[in-house]
Amino acid sequence: MRQIILFIILVVLLPVALALQDLLPSIPPFQARIQLLPIVFCFGVLALPLVPALFFALAAALVQGLALLQIQSGQVELGLTAPVVFFLLWAIVFQMASEATEGMRWEVHAFGSAMVTLTLIGGEFLALCCRRGGFPVEMTVLWRIAIPSVASLLLAPLLYFLLRKLVPVFVEDEALPKKPEFRR
Amino acid sequence: MKKIQIAFLAVLAVLVIAVCLLESGTLGWLQSGLLGIVSPISHSGSAVKSSIGSLGKDLMSLDQLQAEYERVLSENRKLRAENNGLRDLQQDNDHLRQVLGYRERSSFRLVPAVVLGHDAGEWWSTIKINRGSADGITPDMPVITDKGLVGKTTAVSSNLSEVVLITDESCRVAAKVEGTKEQGISAGTRDPAGELRLTFLSKLADLQPGQKVYTAGVSGGIFPSGIALGTVKSFHARELDGEAILEPSADLGSLEEVFVVTGAK
Repeated sequence: MRQIILFIILVVLLPVALALQDLLPSIPPFQARIQLLPIVFCFGVLALPLVPALFFALAAALVQGLALLQIQSGQVELGLTAPVVFFLLWAIVFQMASEATEGMRWEVHAFGSAMVTLTLIGGEFLALCCRRGGFPVEMTVLWRIAIPSVASLLLAPLLYFLLRKLVPVFVEDEALPKKPEFRR
Repeated sequence: MKKIQIAFLAVLAVLVIAVCLLESGTLGWLQSGLLGIVSPISHSGSAVKSSIGSLGKDLMSLDQLQAEYERVLSENRKLRAENNGLRDLQQDNDHLRQVLGYRERSSFRLVPAVVLGHDAGEWWSTIKINRGSADGITPDMPVITDKGLVGKTTAVSSNLSEVVLITDESCRVAAKVEGTKEQGISAGTRDPAGELRLTFLSKLADLQPGQKVYTAGVSGGIFPSGIALGTVKSFHARELDGEAILEPSADLGSLEEVFVVTGAK
């Protein structure tokens, strides 16, 4: 029951993160945007067991995919298949990472959030290049991929500790995997 | 692995396949649903953001007033005090008169809207506005300001719409150049500089910087004819056609209020 409540809270956080990231200002000079959804996604797939984590990844893929969906004259530019595959693969990777560290670690969450952001924005760029043609790899493009990834790396610990404090208000702390001890 | 977990994984597999096979109509409907879900958060977040922004603006005005105070002190103490009190009100009044005047002057039926925020996607230029199907907005309606064309609506929920800007690569607009017979197709670039690229011009067009470009209004198109699109910054001939770089007429970087064109008057 606790896992279900945690799952629902995390699913609700996905559209909240989406709306909040739209309100955040862009970072000059390349107008890069801060991404909050990958950070929430990483927390979710690290905190939940395998099967709920996969359902959560599907929910994240739906939210992210629909947010960026462009339908031009009845034609869908990028469908939902790529986001679904992308988030499911990352969910499996994070489950393995969580197994390897025997629980949730803020370092894994921070690094993972940066990696998800990096691959998400880079993947979107590649998909657009395939769809629209051209492959303009310029410094601007690289910065617009790198800056949000670094922003995710820096913001992830804040969100991690905030969620770790907030989640037990709604569910018992046992719902989250225990923080592992360092092993020699 | 327990049987229940296998059952859940089977359900997940079915859901994944179903999601991947969705068609554009269903996807559009789902996107409207998502906009409906984020709409209350966007509205309240935007209100908080504008409150904070106006607080900053007030503080800045105070600085300006302080500077003004020092400058005018030597001229006339009485006029200075009077100006300080009236300046903000006068600006608000002028702005509102300008907005109202444009709406009444325009030959289109316009629905005014407030910009709630820019989408966080790196490679798409889209904004969200606080009007939706409840205000008569549907997808593919032109969005303008008193300065020129902004873009067109794409996804629409009951009180929130997404607008793709003319600086997005996917937003193509048929355009004509003032004072010539030249016509071309304008589209944005992936560069954040926010310029437009007007292609399919004649190689011999020889456009000059500063020439105005307007929408051409092709039949069956979305954008009506004669809306200011941009100003020519440069022109160069390519192998098969000519290409001009345009500066958009509307200031797309600091949009606050826009109008959705719902039809002709």
